[in-house]
Amino acid sequence: MNKNKMGRPVLIDCDPGIDDALAIFMALASEELNVEAITTVAGNVPVGLTAINALKLVEMAGFEVEVAAGAANPLYTKKKTAESVHGRNGIGDIELPSPKGSLSKRSALELIHDKALQQKGNLEIIATGPLTNVALALTVYPDLKNLVRHIWIMGGSAYSGNRTPAAEFNIFADAHAASIVFASGIPLTMCGLDVTNRALIYKEDIERLSQFKSDVARKSAEMLLWYLKFYNSFGFEGVAMHDPFTVAAAIDPSLIETKHLHVDVETEGEFTLGQTVVDLLKVSGKPPNAYVALELDKKRFVELFEKLMNFYE
Amino acid sequence: MKIPCIMDCDPGHDDAIALILAYGSDKIEIRAVTTTAGNQTIEKTTNNALRIMTFLGAKIPVAPGCAKPLFRDLIIAPEVHGESGLDGPVLPEPAYEAEPVHAVELMAETVKNSNEKITIVPTGALTNVALFLLTYPELKDRIERISLMGGACWGGNWTPAAEFNILVDPEAARIVFESGIPITMSGLDVTHKAYIADDDRERFRKTGTKTAVMVAELLDFFAKFHDENFDFHGSPLHDPCAVAWLIAPEIFTGRDCHVEIETTGKLTTGSTVVDFYNVLKKEKNATVLFDIDREKFVDLLAGHLEEMP
Repeated sequence: MNKNKMGRPVLIDCDPGIDDALAIFMALASEELNVEAITTVAGNVPVGLTAINALKLVEMAGFEVEVAAGAANPLYTKKKTAESVHGRNGIGDIELPSPKGSLSKRSALELIHDKALQQKGNLEIIATGPLTNVALALTVYPDLKNLVRHIWIMGGSAYSGNRTPAAEFNIFADAHAASIVFASGIPLTMCGLDVTNRALIYKEDIERLSQFKSDVARKSAEMLLWYLKFYNSFGFEGVAMHDPFTVAAAIDPSLIETKHLHVDVETEGEFTLGQTVVDLLKVSGKPPNAYVALELDKKRFVELFEKLMNFYE
Repeated sequence: MKIPCIMDCDPGHDDAIALILAYGSDKIEIRAVTTTAGNQTIEKTTNNALRIMTFLGAKIPVAPGCAKPLFRDLIIAPEVHGESGLDGPVLPEPAYEAEPVHAVELMAETVKNSNEKITIVPTGALTNVALFLLTYPELKDRIERISLMGGACWGGNWTPAAEFNILVDPEAARIVFESGIPITMSGLDVTHKAYIADDDRERFRKTGTKTAVMVAELLDFFAKFHDENFDFHGSPLHDPCAVAWLIAPEIFTGRDCHVEIETTGKLTTGSTVVDFYNVLKKEKNATVLFDIDREKFVDLLAGHLEEMP
C-alpha cells in the first residue's frame, strides 16, 4: 500500500511500545505526513525488540518504510525499561506476524542524517521514545541541526512526572540525551504529560475499535485493552495516548495550545533527574527554546484517531 | 485556647503582614519572633522585626538567627523588598532591643517554658528551624506542627524549579521536611492564588486605621516588583498564608504528599519535589496547600486590620 507522496516528510524515532505502535499506524495513514523512515531506540523494551516490532507494525499496515535499529543504551545513565507497562514483547504480549522484510543496513544515525540531507531542510522528526538516537545524531553530524525543520517530542512535563514525582519516563530514561536535544536550537514542540495524560481513550472507544474489520484496528484494540488494565490499576479511567497524541499534534497542530518557553533538562538531581525544567514564570532570563503544549482539544483528537483507523478498513 | 507560636521570619513585606495578622488574631499567641537571613541580611531582618513589633506596641522577644545558610552563601532579594528589606512605609525605630541570645536558644527556651506544644511558623529560609532540630532533638516532640511558607509543587519564582525560601537554604529545608514533625506547606501553588489586587489594597487603606494604612503602604511597594516582573495578577501574599491556615484552615484545600528537597540538582536545587500522584508510595510528610478561597482570605485580612489600632 502506498499513499500519495504529498505529505510533510517525517522520520519517526520510537520504542514500540503499545502507544508507539498506534502512533506509527496513525502517521502512516495520515495524508498530512509522509513517513520517510523509522528509527528505534531502547526504551519501553530493549532496542532489538523495538526495531522488530516497528518492522512488523509497518508491514501489517501494508507499507514499505525503512526501519533501522538505534542505540541500545542511554548516553550516560543505566538502562531503564518498562516491561510492566508494555509487556515482555513491548506490545502488550499481542502476537504479530513475523516480518518478511529486514531491518535497514544503515545505522539509525546514518538514516536520520541521510533522510535529512535528502529532504533538504524539510524533514521533521517525531520522537516518541528516549532521545538517545536524536542526541547521538546531532552530536555525530553537527550539520543536522540546520537540516531538521522541527522536532515533535513526546516527553517531559511542565507539572508532575510519571516515572518519578519530577520526571516523565522518556526523558528520565535518557536525561542527558534530552538535554542535548532541547539545547540544539532546532524548533521543537514538547507534548508532555501536561497534555498526553489528558488525551484519554476509554473502554467504549476501544470496544468500538474492536468492531472494525482491519487487522490494524483489531490488533490496536487488543493492545489498548491490555494497556487499559494497566491504567485502571492506578486509577486512570482510560488509556493515556502519549505517543498517538504527539503524532496527532504533528498532523494537526491546532489540536494543541502551546507556550513558547525556556526548557532545560535536569541531569544531576538526586530526586529530579530527568525533570524537564520549564520556566513557566520566565524567571531564568533565558530565551525560549520549546513550544510547550499545555492545552489540548481532546474531542477532535479522538475523532482524528478514529478517522485514521478507518483508513485501514 | 490560643495557638502558641514562634514566628521565624525574614521581614520582608509579606513577613511583616504575616506578623501583623498573627498578632491581630485572637486565635494565635506569638510567644517569640526569631529572624533569619534571606529577604535581607540578618541585621536588617532583625531590625525590621523589632520595628514591626514596636509599631504594633508589642513587647514580644525577638532573637536574631544565623547570618547565612547552613552550607551555602546567602542570597538576598533587595529587588523585591528594597535596601532596608521593608522599603515603603515610615516605621518607628525599635523601642527595645533583640534578646542577647541566638534564635535557636530563644526557640528552645520558648518551647521548654510552654505547657502546650508550640507551633512554628517559618516564613523565611529554614536555617534556624533546622539548627534547632539538630541542637535540641529531644524537643522535637514538643512541636505541634510547622506551618511554613516555602516551595512549590509546580514551578518556582527564583529559578524555574525553586521558590526563594527553600532555595536560600535547601539543606536546612531537607532537615525540616525529614524531621517527622507534621508540616503544612504553603507553597507558590497556593500563595500565587492568595494575591492582593489594587482594589483590595485601597480597601485596606480606606479602613483608615494606622495598621491598615501601613499595610497598604507595604503593598504599594510590594506591587511594584510584581507588576514589573510577572504576568500574573496582583501581589501574592506568600507568608500570610502560613498564618491564615492556622486561623482559618477551612478556606484552604490541600493534599497530603511525600515531599523531598532537591539539594544536588544542576537546575533544580531548592526544588520541593512533591509526589503529587503518589508514584513513590512513600510516607506522606507534608500537607501541601493548593487552593484558597481568595475572597475569604482578603476578608480575613481586612477584618483583622479593622479591629487593630
